[in-house]
This record gives sequence, structure tokens and C-alpha cells, in this order.
Amino acid sequence: MKKVINIPLGSQHISLLEPVRFQFKTHNEKIVEVGADVGFVHRGIERACVTQFEWKKLPYVVARVCGLCAITHSLSFTLAVEKMLEFESTRRIDYLRMLMVELDRIHSHMLCLSHTAENAGFEAMFMEVMAAREPVMDLQEAISGNRVQFDYIAIGGVHRDISPETAKEVVATLDALKPKIERLLEEFSKNWSLSLKYRGVGMLTYEEACIYNTLGPLARAAGLRTDVRLESSDLPYEEVGFEVVLEKGGDIHARNMVRLYEILNSIEMCKNIVQNLPEGEHLLKIKGKPKGEAIVRLEAPRGELMYLVRGSGKNFLDRVRIKTPTFSGIPAMVEIFKGSEYADAPAILASFDPCMSCTAK
Amino acid sequence: MKKIETTLERVVKTIEEFYDRYEWHFLTLNGIDLDDGKIELQWIFAKYGAKDETVVFYCITDYETEVPSIVKLIPSAIMGEREVVDMFGLTIEGIEGKLYLSDDSLKTPLKTMGLGGCEV
Repeated sequence: MKKVINIPLGSQHISLLEPVRFQFKTHNEKIVEVGADVGFVHRGIERACVTQFEWKKLPYVVARVCGLCAITHSLSFTLAVEKMLEFESTRRIDYLRMLMVELDRIHSHMLCLSHTAENAGFEAMFMEVMAAREPVMDLQEAISGNRVQFDYIAIGGVHRDISPETAKEVVATLDALKPKIERLLEEFSKNWSLSLKYRGVGMLTYEEACIYNTLGPLARAAGLRTDVRLESSDLPYEEVGFEVVLEKGGDIHARNMVRLYEILNSIEMCKNIVQNLPEGEHLLKIKGKPKGEAIVRLEAPRGELMYLVRGSGKNFLDRVRIKTPTFSGIPAMVEIFKGSEYADAPAILASFDPCMSCTAK
Repeated sequence: MKKIETTLERVVKTIEEFYDRYEWHFLTLNGIDLDDGKIELQWIFAKYGAKDETVVFYCITDYETEVPSIVKLIPSAIMGEREVVDMFGLTIEGIEGKLYLSDDSLKTPLKTMGLGGCEV
């Protein structure tokens, strides 16, 4: 009979600097059972949203759920409240919001790709991707005032308009980034460490993606056609050149490819946005207090983010429910680990691009 | 958003009849404290590839009645169900809480929310 060995991964592990703990049972280094513990940093933000802060302050509060995708969190909440208040946005506001969401996706995907390279032992590629990511964060700072933890979204619009000079900077920076991403695409497709080694590793089939309700790049890499940018009319993505990126491999390599092609699509969308930015106000006054219930879904870099907000016309809301992408992805992640070699676990984990800050909101 | 009322007795059968895993995905189970010893439970679904198609099955129940689990139908529902057990102290058939909270944490932090925003 084979000997079963228990091996923990996390809660602090060199391959992922986030507090998640996987408990593997292995037979001869093949993972046969997995347990997951995600509850190390629960902060009680949903409770704080209905007891500590009035609704107008909540875009700042929910932006603290996650430093990386703060824009998507504050925007999802804001759109829900705006629906309840029957607020009609301007095209300029929609475009500026989409611009920041897509810049966020570019730098978030690049962070994931850099860690995937690092887990393959490809330190030079890690540094190259991180260096190429810096100008995108500089753009976000030029537009919003912050590199991370943006407080850009306001109820009724965005806090800062974009100047013509910054708009030109966006185009120039993204034009310079595009050939770098195309080079990365070639490296991640053909380099042994990044491509051949990862094909067939960390597999999630289309069938499994459906069974586990997988979302985001994880689902699209398995051929499941789902993207909230396609499925929601809250932002006019069809006007700026959005295309769903699909792969069929379902492995780490396919996830890398999805993220790289999505970066290229986001670059085109951001350029389209600033080159066709409609005239109008960037921030409108909004009256009333939220009453009723609204659900908003947005495509965060890691997949579908959902906010459900209920209010009864008071200063404090009755409920703010936050469903984050990694929260939905945990059951699929556990299944993907099963049958994999333990040695591949760090690389598989990095390819999920999990965000524990979001999950344990 | 389409809201469909159901009961705890019927909810599993209702979802079983409705759910096609190639068409719909389960977003999460949500609870909302109603401030009178009751809680509204919501099972939220969205359709793959379709614009703005969200369906919410909901029912109002008390805190004492055991809630049926839909994990056998939808394995990914385990996360939402564990979270509701943690946050509201409900009993869900076969589901252990302790997703986020440890033994020394504040118990059922979302149970007493409908009090005009007062800290309880």
C-alpha cells in the first residue's frame, strides 16, 4: 500500500505571498486530496458597510477590499447605488470608468504572468514583465492620483477628468507596451520553461469548468465562453472593441495565453476610449438615498465580481453583499490540484491568480 | 433581475428543475437579516453569454429551521453556504461554517443588521 503524506502549502508560502492554506494528501508526490482554508484575513467589510459608514462613503470602503482591483470594487458598488437612484450616466463617465478598469486588467494580468514566470524558475522574465508593467501603473497614477488603491470612482461619475496631455500619454505608453506584450506572447508560446513545461499541467476541462461554475480567465482558458463585459449592459464595451478571448487547452499555458491576448485587447480598448472620448461632464450631482435592491456584475481581472445592495432610503444601507472572483473559483482550484504532481502545485496556484484579500473581505 | 419566490421545502427541487450547468452559473447564496427574527435567503444565478439575465430564487425563513443544501446539485455552492453559516449562524444541511471565522471571532456578525445601522 502506498504511503500517504500530508503536505501543507501556505498559509505563507514563497510561491504566493497571500494567506491561503492548501492541505495536500499525496501518494508518491501525486496529489490525491486537497483541503483549502481561506479565512486568515477576514476583515468584516460587509458588516462595516451597514454599521460603520453611511452609503456615500462606501465607494472608499469597498475600494479597500482589494488594492489591485479597487476600481472594479468601487465601480460595482457605485453602479448598484446609481441603479437604485435611477441615475443616468454620461458617455464620458462610462468611458473614463472603462479606461481605468481596463488599465487595471492590464497590470493585474501582467502581475500574474510575472509570477507564473517566477514559478518556472525564469527570474529574468519575472523582472522583465514587472518592468514592462510599471508604465501602466504610472498611467493609472496620472489619471487617478494613485498607483494602487485608487479612489477614482465617485457616485455620479469619476473624481478627476482626463487632460488632453494625459490622453496622449495613454496612447504613447500603450503603443510602447504592445510590442513588449507581443514578445511576451512569443516567449510564453515557445520558450520551454514557460510553454512546453506547462502544457497539460493544472488541467481544467470544459466539462469541469461548467460543473464548478468557473469564471474569468480560468473558465475562458477551458473554452467556456463567459465574460461579464459581454453579459452586462452597465458599461458600453461593444463600442470600444471588446472581444472575448477563448482558449481550449484548460492548462497553465492556456491561462497564460488568455491573459496575454486579453492584455492586447485591453490595450486596443484603452486607445479607442481616449481617442474617441465623448464630450461632457465627468461628475454629476446625484440626489436621494438608495431605496430598493440592485445587483451589479463586472468583469474584474480575475473574473466576475458581484455586488448586491439593498437600501431603504436611510443613510445606512440594509445589506451590501460582495461576491469576489476568487471566492467562486476555490472549488475548481481544489479539483485542479487533484491528480497533479506536488512539484507543480506552486505553478498551478500562481496560474489561478488568486486574490485572498478579495476572498476574505 | 428576475426574482422568484420559493420556500425552503421547495427550493432544491425548484433549482434542480431550473438549473442547466451549460447555460447558467450559480453566483452565490446570500442572506439578508430582516430585523424581526427572520432572514431572506437568495440563490443567485446568471446566464452564460446573455445580456443582463440574472435570476434570484428567494425565501423568507427564521433562524431555527434547517436550510437544505444545493451542493449535490451545484458543488461550487459550498462556498456561499459555508459563508452564510458563518455570518448568520444558520444551520445548513451537512455544511460546516468556519470559512472565515475562528472560535474566538465575533459570532454571526451579519445576523443583527436591520437595526437602522446601529452597532450591535
